[in-house]
Amino acid sequence: MNNFIVFFFSSLFLQIFSSIFLIVFRNNKKASQVFHFILLIGLVSGLTSVLSSILSETPILFPTDFPIPLEYFRFDSLAFYFLFLIQLAGIPITIFSYSYFNHEIKEKKSVKSTLFFYAGLLVFTQLVVVVNQAVVFLVFWELMSLFAYLGMIFEKEKKEVEIGSFYYFVMSHVVVFALAFFFFLLHRHTGSWFLSDFHMNSDSDTLVPFLYLLSIIGFGMKAGFIPFHFWLPKAHPIAPTVFSAFLSAVIIKTGIYGLLRTFQFARPVSEWMGWIVLFIGIISAVFGIWYAIVQKDIKKILAYSSVENIGIIGIGIGLGLIGSACQSFPIQVIGFGGALLHTLNHSLFKSLLFMGSGILYHNFHTRDINQMGGAIHRKTYFAVFFLIGSLAITGIPFLNGFISEFLIYNGFFQAAKELKNHYPLMMLLSAVALAFAGGLAVACFTKIYSIVFLGSQRTEIKKFYFSFFDAFSLGILALLMLVIGVYPIPLIQFVSQVLGDGFVKGNPLPILSNLNWLSISLIFFALLAVFVILFLLKKIIYKKYGQRTAPAWGCGYEKQTPRMQYTASSFSDELSEIPDSVLGYQKIEKSSNFPYSDKSFSTHSSDFVEEKLLRPLFKKIQAFSLRFQFFKTSDLRTYLLAILLMVIFYSLAGFLWDS
Amino acid sequence: MGFIMILVLSPLFSGIVNKQKNFFTGRIGAPVLQPYYELFKLFKKETLHAKTASFISRITPLVHFTAILSAAAVLPVGFSAPLISFEGDIILFAYLLSLSRFFQILAAMDIGSSFEGMGASREASFAVFVEPIFFFTLGSIAFITGLTSISSIYDSIVLNNISYLVFIFVCSISFFILAVTECSRMPVDDPNTHLELTMIHEVMILDNSGFDLFLYHYSSSIKLFIFVILETSFFGSLGGGNRVLEIGIFILIVFFLSTALAFVETVTARFKMKNIPQYLLFATAIGVLNLLIFTFTQ
Repeated sequence: MNNFIVFFFSSLFLQIFSSIFLIVFRNNKKASQVFHFILLIGLVSGLTSVLSSILSETPILFPTDFPIPLEYFRFDSLAFYFLFLIQLAGIPITIFSYSYFNHEIKEKKSVKSTLFFYAGLLVFTQLVVVVNQAVVFLVFWELMSLFAYLGMIFEKEKKEVEIGSFYYFVMSHVVVFALAFFFFLLHRHTGSWFLSDFHMNSDSDTLVPFLYLLSIIGFGMKAGFIPFHFWLPKAHPIAPTVFSAFLSAVIIKTGIYGLLRTFQFARPVSEWMGWIVLFIGIISAVFGIWYAIVQKDIKKILAYSSVENIGIIGIGIGLGLIGSACQSFPIQVIGFGGALLHTLNHSLFKSLLFMGSGILYHNFHTRDINQMGGAIHRKTYFAVFFLIGSLAITGIPFLNGFISEFLIYNGFFQAAKELKNHYPLMMLLSAVALAFAGGLAVACFTKIYSIVFLGSQRTEIKKFYFSFFDAFSLGILALLMLVIGVYPIPLIQFVSQVLGDGFVKGNPLPILSNLNWLSISLIFFALLAVFVILFLLKKIIYKKYGQRTAPAWGCGYEKQTPRMQYTASSFSDELSEIPDSVLGYQKIEKSSNFPYSDKSFSTHSSDFVEEKLLRPLFKKIQAFSLRFQFFKTSDLRTYLLAILLMVIFYSLAGFLWDS
Repeated sequence: MGFIMILVLSPLFSGIVNKQKNFFTGRIGAPVLQPYYELFKLFKKETLHAKTASFISRITPLVHFTAILSAAAVLPVGFSAPLISFEGDIILFAYLLSLSRFFQILAAMDIGSSFEGMGASREASFAVFVEPIFFFTLGSIAFITGLTSISSIYDSIVLNNISYLVFIFVCSISFFILAVTECSRMPVDDPNTHLELTMIHEVMILDNSGFDLFLYHYSSSIKLFIFVILETSFFGSLGGGNRVLEIGIFILIVFFLSTALAFVETVTARFKMKNIPQYLLFATAIGVLNLLIFTFTQ
């Protein structure tokens, strides 16, 4: 496919060009229609070009007379993989965005600028993963974060939006600072600004750990590993759902992209770095989902569950690093392969779940799941799609989440088998931690699903909105998850192609395809057959022996009301109480013997990192800076002088450093 | 062969346990075949669905049964090979059990009754500890030998090695605790009380009847038998290829296990709900022993 470059850049151009129509059309609704249509065409053509380029074996030719400086871009397999991921998640989110913003248009809100930010976010995220020059990378990275921030403050009149978006804003700048340092170090070492030239020489032993540290801080903070996860549960809930879906499905994956690139830059790695990444991954997986269980805000639950899944990806990367340090080809392949697969899988199910939360928000006008309930009786399709998403994210067999977790478990087994000594013990403990996180995930997602969808409605709503576009976007994702779960081989081939190009030397395909994917598909069909037979049997038996509906059993009590149902907090009560010092779980009860006095009961939880680490840290910083208050004047010139002195200091320092 | 045996004999095991329990408490008790009669009775009954129920509680009995059935299919039954076996099926086994659990919790919450919610909440909380225990038992051999299929894990066990004997002992305790928790047996759960507040599994299926309840009861007796099989398969190699001897040993161990179960159920009272996580953590903690044994004896 020689004209891939032309095709790809024109699709990007089309995507950004779509925002012109926001100005052309006065009418909000019409503008949104045309905008989304053009944006979708841009995305689909981008996906087509990427797919056809992946499938055809011919190398990409760079046209000579092209208006864009092409040496700044690189299209290797990793870039393609992430492009594929962005577009695959981007298409359903864009379709959903149309119906989501229709609600806002109905409420007479101005959506044009937010739609423009969405298009910008899409384009710059795609550019970030293909760019090959460090400074341009940082610029695009910053623009991506900025567009996400601008989209996030859609409801800027609300206090929580102000706070949450500020968390995100500060976080993205800490990240950029770390990344700038990271790339400058790489530049100093290699003398080049190009990502493809970043390789370590033999004398770089001291540099590599430092690079990993910066990468874990920078990219890891974007990805949301514990303890850098604090911004996720603040920023995701307040953003418009389109943005929170995109943030969780795609933007945090750019952090994973960066970590994987770091591995390509900085080799050889030492083993302890792998262990550190593995450890951070395990902590994120277990505590991410544990925090999720305690929450009541559906988007907060999903945000914390992203922390869990990022942790699982981290476990894969850690395994890969350990494999690389121990020079074991299979461990590397399975570890990195599991991480890559889970990255794609997570972006599929998390965008589905977030979009579902947006639909729920528009119907119930709240994000508190304790106010919802009974949604399954309103829209069955919606309930089915959300069920598939919840099953997939918990790693239940025959959906895509299981495939990547299966791969990571196999990585543990492989590492234990090959490396002997103390490795079996460590790997077993890691596997147990992953299984534990899996059990917690079952508790978490059965909780969301049963409180939101099952039982009877806790608040009355007249009409349940679930448009065709909602159904379509959720349906595509649910279908994709099922297909990957039952027949993962094409995706496995893609992953091994990525691994073969710049990760490992040799052909990773035999190792990955040696695992029994076919048995899993066969068992699925066998079970499906058993299920269908049972289903028919059930029909026959119902016909023969009768079947009817009756009121639910209430132990003799007849006046059951929806308020008496189990709530989110009561469902998760036992699990919330076990580590209450970490979760900051509190029950606050006001009671009195007199009727009609104020009685109340509520539960609260707080984030350990935020309460115990960040708050004291920032208090200290504040106290420290207050010491310099004597410097405070009302004269602007004093400040200008201070800035000048600082610039002189920096230049001198830079000059002395270089000479 | 083994798979068919699991299907046919699993209610019998519950019958034997009940009979022995009655013996220990000095009663005559129901006949050993009583579970079959009960299943047959449920099969022929009219099925009721709650008015608030959705399609979830209609398909869950089927999904639950199918998942348990397929989990049983990967197990070797002492003297015969499993129906399905491939490298990595240990992971599938664990996750199939969690599939059945997922749907069962949903079905319990589906009705919107607070009794079933109670059971669902308890099941969700206690199940968190179940999978780690499983990995600490059979999983630990998988990590030592690198074999990841359940039947090959059992094949690799050599009975004349002292560390394996200790391992089997530790595993037996863990499996016992797992079986008790997963199959609503005495120290953890008491399905025979008449108070819904004190139950776990039984309270989750309060609103089921007829064919649905038949599937639930049948699959839970298969589930109990799965844990029995997990235990007996340790001694599969004792028969030394002699079919009659193998079957004899199998029957002996099954009988021993049922006696143990009945005995424990007779002499213990149900734990406080608050203490159950500790009980499960105990099983996890002794599971860690397994790996230490192997790590230091190698």
